[in-house]
Amino acid sequence: MKQKKKVTIAQGCALVIVIYSILAVCFYFIGGEQLKYTPSQEYKATEKSTTTIGEIRRNMTVMQTFIAQTDEVQRVSLLFATGGKQNPGVALIRILNMANGKVLAQKNVVLSSLANNAYTSIGFDQPVKVNKGETLGLTLNVPNSEEGKTISVWFDAGNTFQGGGAWFLNGVKQQGTLCIIYSGRDKILFGDYYWDLVIGLGILLAIYCINLVVKQKKGKRSFGLNLIATFLKYRFLLHQLVSRDFKTKYKRSVLGVFWSFLNPLLSMTVQYVVFSTLFKSNISNFAVYLLTGIVFFNFFSEATGMGLGSIVGNASLITKVYIPKYIFPVSRVLSSVINLLISIIPLIIVMMITRTPITPALLLLPFSIVCIIAFCIGMSFLLSSAMVFFRDMQFLWNVVSMLWVYATPIFYPESILPQKYIFIFKLNPLYHFIRFARTIILNGVSPEPKAYLFCLIAGFLPLVIGAIVFKRTQNKFILNL
Amino acid sequence: MIKAEHISMEFKITHDRINSLKEYLVTRLRGKLEYEEFWALKDVSFEVQKGEVIGIIGRNGAGKSTLLKVISGILKPSKGEIMVSGNIVPMLELGAGFDSDLSGRENIFLNGSILGYSERYLRDKYNEIVQFSELKEFIDVPIRNYSSGMLMRLAFSIATVIEPEILIVDEILSVGDEAFQRKSRARMLELMGGGTTVLFVSHSIEQIKEMCDRVIWLDYGQVKMIGDSKEICEHYQNYMS
Repeated sequence: MKQKKKVTIAQGCALVIVIYSILAVCFYFIGGEQLKYTPSQEYKATEKSTTTIGEIRRNMTVMQTFIAQTDEVQRVSLLFATGGKQNPGVALIRILNMANGKVLAQKNVVLSSLANNAYTSIGFDQPVKVNKGETLGLTLNVPNSEEGKTISVWFDAGNTFQGGGAWFLNGVKQQGTLCIIYSGRDKILFGDYYWDLVIGLGILLAIYCINLVVKQKKGKRSFGLNLIATFLKYRFLLHQLVSRDFKTKYKRSVLGVFWSFLNPLLSMTVQYVVFSTLFKSNISNFAVYLLTGIVFFNFFSEATGMGLGSIVGNASLITKVYIPKYIFPVSRVLSSVINLLISIIPLIIVMMITRTPITPALLLLPFSIVCIIAFCIGMSFLLSSAMVFFRDMQFLWNVVSMLWVYATPIFYPESILPQKYIFIFKLNPLYHFIRFARTIILNGVSPEPKAYLFCLIAGFLPLVIGAIVFKRTQNKFILNL
Repeated sequence: MIKAEHISMEFKITHDRINSLKEYLVTRLRGKLEYEEFWALKDVSFEVQKGEVIGIIGRNGAGKSTLLKVISGILKPSKGEIMVSGNIVPMLELGAGFDSDLSGRENIFLNGSILGYSERYLRDKYNEIVQFSELKEFIDVPIRNYSSGMLMRLAFSIATVIEPEILIVDEILSVGDEAFQRKSRARMLELMGGGTTVLFVSHSIEQIKEMCDRVIWLDYGQVKMIGDSKEICEHYQNYMS
């Protein structure tokens, strides 16, 4: 018996390391560009605009210099004036390196495609690699312009581009700045050091595994071994409790498990009808946007609602048999996980109906699910132990979770809050999980590495806090049941 | 097997039970949050060897059930230490953890897992449990349709067919009809003979005398006497009459 167990722990460790390596490689390919770059903010020359510079003639060169603040430039926007006419010909837009006069990128834009008195964004075919801090020049020519049938751009005489820069007409420096915006992306260290990080963590993992195996051999106790031992001991009980919750939930209903499937669809339909007229214009693919939020929030509210009563509801058991009490909140949350997994099916169906592209990035979805599970277990620890001492908790929690729906961008766009108040969302753990899932589902790409970190913190910090509170209070539970 | 060292169990009793935040704050602000200390157990020490059958006697409120709960790990003693090695099956109340919507079969696995048995073990013993409970074709019926006798039979079977290392029994030898009672008593005796350590609370002194090797006599939370069952039982009967 003992011999057999030793082998399984060593095997388990080997398995963990193999899985880790496979995941690390897969993640590198799925994560792709998002791991190496993060989109920069938009750098805007000025908020105002005084007047246009006048018609741009055939042999005129308009140039704005600026100091590069990003590692790569992807888009520039200019505030054009077209006079509301359909102008013939094209405009040539170039990015120059001012130090050596080299042309880094150029792009032809059809004049008739430009907006009048509004910013038009122009993207380069390839991101333009630049060095932070060097002076770049943005030049604009209209090579074949005809008099009266050409364009102009706005400038602001009272301001200069923040960080330095000026504008030139045919090489002569002018006062003020052109109305331009540029944006790009920044390299992040994470991408450069990805493999170092993977190997480093791998080595740590291997050391810990060896440590576990050695400790097991010597018969010493350790936190990790205890954790594995209790998990193995109570795995069957956990499985029984989860399957009981799941079996009894729909036991006497006609549609049964089908409700897990139908519920999110129905609430999505209702909210879609109600809110689509309100917010649709702001959100592309509102149905999927909404359903993702609903699926995640429903899981949260179901798991915490069930977890809340898990200790009080099992009072008859807790006062009669010794079972580690954390089993109850954990099992309740895990049985909600089954519902969550089922409700992902309608999500995928709606994705197919709305022709949302199904990309390999979807493979990253489990990450946000694991994080939200950790978060819900942590919350259930907190709530269930609070509930033992104060039965008001259940009523209070109803109100709080209703507030929470409105505080999370589920059926409204994030842009409802001005940029400077966005931190309110960022304090809300659910926001991170939902945003993570939406980036994957709607944009089909991996979120930036920071989002992973936020999800981890938002998920596991509450878990640790909840576990500590639960552990401290659990001996007093029985006196209050 | 079981070693109790200077166990004390203190309960704080408030005059009215505070269950809501409002009540708590109100009484707190008024400064009326008063507790009355109550020692359910005071400095209790004893040792039980493997295979012994121990009876626990004493009048109502002497701390017998509290002691059983401390031994089974449900209550944590306020002072002292309890060391238990081996798997405990507490029969403080039969059928705790049954789910009325599940069938008898599902409840065997649920209850068995609550008592700490592995899946393999339960699968091996499943037939024996069903046979002992005499439930036969009712085993796949949701247990909300069971009679109370059937429920007790099922619960007793789960608790005893599997051979626990330590069995804790609180007055439950009157289960089911007369035939089943005889059968369950036989089963208890069989377990006691077969090396299972049994802790046994009963108000029936005759039963204790008949079944136990040693007896612990509790009075007001303290050990009054401990020793050979016949001797202690006689003292106890003299004391009570």
